[in-house]
Amino acid sequence: MKERINGILSEVKTKISAAASENELQSVKSAYIGKQGALSLLMKELPGLAAELRPQIGSLLNQAKNQVTELVETKRTELKLKASQVSPDFDCSVPGILPRRGGLHPITQMCYDLNDTFRSMGFEIFQEDDITSEMYAFDKLNFPPNHPARESMDTYWLEGHDSGNTNEKLCLRPHLTGGSVRYMQTHKPPYRFVYPGRVYRNETTDAHHERAFFQYEALIVDKDITFTSGKVMIKSILSKVFGTDVPVRMRSGFFPFVEPGFEIDMQCQVCGGKGCSVCKHVGWIEVMPGGSPHPNVLRAAGLDPDEYTGFYVNIGLDRLVMMRYGVDDVRLFHSADLRFLNQFK
Amino acid sequence: MKLSLSWIRDYVAIPENIDLKKLAYDLTMSTVEVEDVEYLAGRFEHMVVGVILEIQAHPNADKLRVCKVDIGGDVKEIVCGGINLREGMRVAVSCPGAVVRWHGEGDPVVIKNSKLRGVESFGMICASDEIGLGDLFPASQEAEILDLSAFDVPAGTSLAQALDMDDVLLEIDNKSMTNRPDLWGHYGIAREIAALYDLPLAEIKPFAADTESEFKVEISDADRCPRYIGVEMSGVEVKPSPYRIQSRIWKAGMRPINALVDITNYAMLATGNPTHAFDADQIKGHITVRRASQGETLSLLNGRELTLCEDDLVIADSQEPVALAGVMGGSKDSILPDTRRVILEVANFESTGIRRTALRYDNRTEASSRYEKAVDPERCAQALALSMQYFRELYPDLKVTGYCDRYEKKLKRAEVDVSLTWLAKRLGKTLSNEEIRRKLELLGFEVEINGDKMHAVAPTWRSTGDISMKDDVMEEVARMYGYDHFEATEFTTTFTGAINQKDQELLRNIKEYLAIRCGMQEVYTYPWMNDVFVDALLPGREGVLKLSTPPAPDLSCIRSTLLPNLCEAVVKNERYFNDFSIFEEAQVFFDGSYSSPYDESESLPKQRRHIGGAFASSKKDITQLFREAKGVLAYMPRYTHMESFTFRKAEKPGWADDVVWLNLFLGEEHIGDMGLLAKKVSMECGIKNLSVMLFELDAARLVPLKSRTNRFAHLAEYPETDYDISMLFDPDASWTDIYEAILGKKKASALLKDAAFVDEYRGKQVPAGKKSVTIRLTIGSGEKTLTSQEIENVAEQVMKKLRKGMGAELRTQ
Repeated sequence: MKERINGILSEVKTKISAAASENELQSVKSAYIGKQGALSLLMKELPGLAAELRPQIGSLLNQAKNQVTELVETKRTELKLKASQVSPDFDCSVPGILPRRGGLHPITQMCYDLNDTFRSMGFEIFQEDDITSEMYAFDKLNFPPNHPARESMDTYWLEGHDSGNTNEKLCLRPHLTGGSVRYMQTHKPPYRFVYPGRVYRNETTDAHHERAFFQYEALIVDKDITFTSGKVMIKSILSKVFGTDVPVRMRSGFFPFVEPGFEIDMQCQVCGGKGCSVCKHVGWIEVMPGGSPHPNVLRAAGLDPDEYTGFYVNIGLDRLVMMRYGVDDVRLFHSADLRFLNQFK
Repeated sequence: MKLSLSWIRDYVAIPENIDLKKLAYDLTMSTVEVEDVEYLAGRFEHMVVGVILEIQAHPNADKLRVCKVDIGGDVKEIVCGGINLREGMRVAVSCPGAVVRWHGEGDPVVIKNSKLRGVESFGMICASDEIGLGDLFPASQEAEILDLSAFDVPAGTSLAQALDMDDVLLEIDNKSMTNRPDLWGHYGIAREIAALYDLPLAEIKPFAADTESEFKVEISDADRCPRYIGVEMSGVEVKPSPYRIQSRIWKAGMRPINALVDITNYAMLATGNPTHAFDADQIKGHITVRRASQGETLSLLNGRELTLCEDDLVIADSQEPVALAGVMGGSKDSILPDTRRVILEVANFESTGIRRTALRYDNRTEASSRYEKAVDPERCAQALALSMQYFRELYPDLKVTGYCDRYEKKLKRAEVDVSLTWLAKRLGKTLSNEEIRRKLELLGFEVEINGDKMHAVAPTWRSTGDISMKDDVMEEVARMYGYDHFEATEFTTTFTGAINQKDQELLRNIKEYLAIRCGMQEVYTYPWMNDVFVDALLPGREGVLKLSTPPAPDLSCIRSTLLPNLCEAVVKNERYFNDFSIFEEAQVFFDGSYSSPYDESESLPKQRRHIGGAFASSKKDITQLFREAKGVLAYMPRYTHMESFTFRKAEKPGWADDVVWLNLFLGEEHIGDMGLLAKKVSMECGIKNLSVMLFELDAARLVPLKSRTNRFAHLAEYPETDYDISMLFDPDASWTDIYEAILGKKKASALLKDAAFVDEYRGKQVPAGKKSVTIRLTIGSGEKTLTSQEIENVAEQVMKKLRKGMGAELRTQ
């Protein structure tokens, strides 16, 4: 009898620990200590035992029943805590809720990314007014008096301020470089600053041409620096934007306010330089002009070009943002269309 | 500019096996941007010269013929509708696979074997414009087939070979060579290639004049015309030029006209110096180069009549102007079919004057666009020599009857002194003296080195402004050495203290606060405003600046406030959204002030940096929208670390609703406004269902804190309890008054820590003429935990104060 009880006990223990649900546990419970349960049935056999054995076996049986009840309850609690709080068909594929809408314009985002990079290299951030005079937009930048950019088909002049001397002819700035002269005039060298801002060109617009767009100018001016120092700035910009080191090349280019001047190309990030339709099969994409500030520009800023030199780059933020996100129409940036802007969190 | 490689090879012996990709790359890296390298023969693939053996009528079509054509070892039947077909004629046959344009129009089409009106046709017999040769072989009438009978080649010869199209075209970005007038011609590029690869350059042998005559030229303004060579010739006539000249002119992108004109264009395309030929019999007296007199008239060879001004330079005979110098010839002396005597003009004109005149009459030509780059006067000799070579070759009976070379203002070669130490410093690399000398000499410089001093004399063709200072010489050395060969050099840092730009940081903090914390979307709009929105929002145009040449007539005003463009953005987005908020940070401009902090002589208008925003919704009620907007502004100073501003009603903005508006003050300074866009303004803007709350701040007047100023407060030792009460007030009781009554000078209870507005309700649930305000009281003690009785007592005291002070009643429902 004792052996039978122990056998049943070890059997029931295994079953309890294997029970995966409360229902299963319940059926284990009734199979052993329910009315027709194995232990209950043994109880019924008690009267047939020898009288001296009865109390001992009876107490054994009761102990066994209590033990089973205890085990079942422990297991029941365990199962309850383990069970999910929701029904098994809870749908985890429903989308999350946007914490808050809103965001910065993708060009502002790019600009701040670059600001952070340059700040970490000890550059100041400079900002200037959008309306400037012909003197600062062209004269001080070594543009010859009859340069085509000065004409109204290229530059937005202000009504009532579109003739006369260059110090009183006013326009929406066609580039940022004139502002750089202002910075240099009001600060002491050496210089290390960036100058983000919107510039304006009187142009016919299409997917690649805009009348208002953003430039980002970076300038270092110091004694004893070489014309290749600029490569470091260029690499910093591009690795920040694209997240990896991007091969660049500098080639001969001409702009009135630099000497020597460069066109700076980066390796096409679409094909990795092998040549594709994006880079017109040359493997390189023109991203920015650069060069050493022309001695006349340094002079205009009150510096001695024999003593000081520098490096300047001017990058079109719109173009960079377009490359970063694959935007194919530059006009979207000034559209204020939330269907577009909402995409850039 | 398009250049023919075979033409360049006339002047420089480029190795036959050169990698053209490499040539284009080297030119791009060192000199000019080569945009395209085109194998010209590619356009004529699957095209051959065929000979028509037999022509038969088409069984089903009157206008079509069926031709038997020998295409070299094979005779094919081709259906053709050409009107000038004849047996024995040499024609261009496009075989299957060739790419043509039907009648020279529309998209390119690939030729296939096909049936035309029921008759099988192999390929196609082409008209010139169908294979892109319309300019080289102009058709005299419709449906005229290109007649190649003059080309003595056997049937089956590839068309590219027969027409000398086995050539390569280099396309160069004009913008990349505006500063290099010496490159505007095949010879110039050849010279640059010779320098890059150290190859021998052919010389154009100068023309030797041996004529004594009365013929003379007078220059009255040598500054504007430094040199003028005139050659008077007889024994010429108007006839087509030889094919080799025509095809080269065509390859360079111009049209062949007749031999007299073609020679002058050829000389220009070769040397970059424009030349001009005109009818000598039309010239009265002698040629004078002079300024026009005011009001003088000139009829150009394109038929335009010009009234000239004193700034224009003209070529005149003793009676009147006959040509606009350096821009275009006149009609009086133009080459006509009966021209028998010509004067060849090879001249040099000053660049800026040519540019002014060309722009003045909106008449930019191949000639003017070259002169305005500043051509050197020495080049006249080359252009003259080349022209005369062809005149003599094409006209065996030619006689030079007059010659005059007035070289009034000699070109001075640019001389530059360069310190070699300086050069090494700027290059970041020390090159040997010999290396430097060699690079420069290849480019035509004369170089003398004496210790640290280098004296460089630029060649004539680089001396019209291009080379003028030591930086230019450095650039020449660097590009010849190859920019690829200079490593990036790191620049050294000197620590001069951390950068502290509080104003810059504040602007960014504000934008990030609005975008990230307040959930607004930043937008960009243009600086110009649409008249509709200007009229709707602004009281008038006083003080608003305008553009001389606006993008559109109704976009001439540039913004003095950000709000009109924000309203336009609201209108645009109303189609897609019914609840959104946007902001913009940009400059605004005012007609006034006119001074400059940088330069006393400069007069700039008043310019400010503003931040504006719009909250637009058709779902929220006005109160909700108002509180949202006000909340964004009220918490801005705290979150962006600037001095806080206050809200006050002082002056209603013109665009605002009569009741819902506030001015913002920093101390006593009015720095901005907020308010609900008035119904009428909203309607004029074209806003349909949205209520719009606007704000605008003058960002430059905001004052960043020197540092964060929050003070730490000890954590409460005993619990504080929130307790809500709802009271009925008169409808004009303001929250400021209620707050003042509870927490003002005489606090309702020492245990009252704070009181907050929860909501306001007017409607059925409250008696008429009343509003209910729910107030959340924060109650606590620093000494013990309060009992519920003590808390209720505090609330009771507050209610008592409001009853007595403001006549409020407890809301019972």
